[in-house]
Amino acid sequence: MLELRDVRCSIGKHEVIHGVSLRVEEGELICLLGANGAGKSTLFRTISGVVRPRSGEIIFRGEPIHRLGPDRIVRLGISLCPEGRKLFPRLSVKKNLMMGAYTRYRNRVEVKMSFQEVFELFPILEERLDQDAGTMSGGEQQMLAIARALMARPKLLMLDEPSLGLAPLVVKRIMETIQEINRRGVTILLSEQNAAMALSISHRGYVMENGKIVLEGSSQELMDNEEVKRAYLGA
Amino acid sequence: MSFFINQLIIGIQLGSQYMMMALGLTLIFGILDISHFAHGHIYMVGAYLLYTFSVLAGINYWVALPICMIILALIGVLVERLVYRPLRGSPSINTFIAAIGLLLAIETLVRGIKKDAVRVPVPVDRSVSVLGMSLEVQRIIVILGALLILLMLQWFIKRTRLGIAIEAMAQDREGASLVGINVNRISALTFAIASALAGVAAVLMAPLGAITPEMGNPLILKAFVIVVIGGLGSMKGAIFGGYILGVIEALGVAYISSTYKDVFAFALLIVILAFRPTGLFGERAA
Ligand SMILES: Nc1ncnc2c1ncn2[C@@H]1O[C@H](COP(=O)(O)OP(=O)(O)OP(=O)(O)O)[C@@H](O)[C@H]1O
Ligand SMILES: [Mg+2]
Repeated sequence: MLELRDVRCSIGKHEVIHGVSLRVEEGELICLLGANGAGKSTLFRTISGVVRPRSGEIIFRGEPIHRLGPDRIVRLGISLCPEGRKLFPRLSVKKNLMMGAYTRYRNRVEVKMSFQEVFELFPILEERLDQDAGTMSGGEQQMLAIARALMARPKLLMLDEPSLGLAPLVVKRIMETIQEINRRGVTILLSEQNAAMALSISHRGYVMENGKIVLEGSSQELMDNEEVKRAYLGA
Repeated sequence: MSFFINQLIIGIQLGSQYMMMALGLTLIFGILDISHFAHGHIYMVGAYLLYTFSVLAGINYWVALPICMIILALIGVLVERLVYRPLRGSPSINTFIAAIGLLLAIETLVRGIKKDAVRVPVPVDRSVSVLGMSLEVQRIIVILGALLILLMLQWFIKRTRLGIAIEAMAQDREGASLVGINVNRISALTFAIASALAGVAAVLMAPLGAITPEMGNPLILKAFVIVVIGGLGSMKGAIFGGYILGVIEALGVAYISSTYKDVFAFALLIVILAFRPTGLFGERAA
């Protein structure tokens, strides 16, 4: 469904992604592990079109997308729930969700259904509909960020460290919900530093270090890998 | 007492003009972080367009109004596209210089075409008496017209998909592109709206005074003062700040001296920033 071929990106003058290749098949839940500064966020922003790769190809459902802008890529069916959430803090929860469906304004009935779907996944959002996004707790904001990304009806949902800074109980809820979203047919690419949690819900994973993929395999293989155990699972 | 009320009405009318100008500036600032110093000159072009249509071409004033708005909106789109967009991401001093250059270019161009001051006749040449004082009907038209435009703008920004997208982009630009908002299109739209607002202000105000190539200068200074007083990027701030400055100016002229007409704005700026460095409704310091 998504394929990256030798993608390189720079921020300013510095190359930070040094030739990454990876594949995501339809229906998979893939995790991308990596320490601080490994380049996970940059890679996601590149797939979304916010950052242009300096070379390499990104193919989504047979179509090259590495030259498209973010608005086109959303329309093709890739949504990013970014690190730091990037919500609209002084807009209500409802308006944040409406903006999530920005590309789908022609089909009001379907957008209504999407509202129902995200309320099913995150009932708290329905209660907070008129509250400003910026005034909610971190966990609620993360839920809103995921919900907003879902409002675009993505085929591929990318989640950049959704557990960052949240209490363990909230993290567990969010991970379960991510799994549920995947079961409903959305392909997921999830970046995490919380490797144990991510591997426990994903099918396969990649490990990224210093802008390169250094390891890949099924989640079980990664969990058993000595390197991964030492560096990411704290064993 | 009736003198006071009369001055108050004049202040509200001035404030209506200031508010429409400051709203455009603050919208543009919120979206693009640009200080669009040529905005006063866009207003001036609007006044000359009105002169061209209603005096030279003999078109009815009320028909000329929407024509001027549309032409200015298109000019605004061009300005964004040709002047500011190529400079996106470059140091803000570059944008600043571009804005000043644009302002000088417009002023020189207009002066080259028509050097002397011109006038546009008042569409409703009558006065009404308010508490024993006579008041030009055009002043009331300015106040009500501005109010109507303000309500329409509020509705657009708060209730429509594109309007909400303007606010969304002002609050988080990357977040906005990630939901599929085309930020270039929203920038162009914002410039169109701001310039059309300047057009309304120009068409409503022009019959009350002389039209000159320099008329944009004091206006842009005051509009900027209002944007800073109200809080950078804040619409509420531009609205309140506009009316407050208009009223203070009118009362200051009446009770202190008309010599200081253009100074009251800066006095107000200093006082308000001393107490609230972010302006009345702003989050960022000026
Ligand atoms: N805006 C920026 N300016 C300069 N360097 C940057 C910028 N953003 C990222 N980098 C650099 O790019 C590299 C990759 O950063 P990136 O944020 O993609 O990593 P990450 O894996 O997402 O890290 P984290 O787990 O901390 O989110 C890092 O070395 C970082 O220092
Ligand atoms: Mg990151």
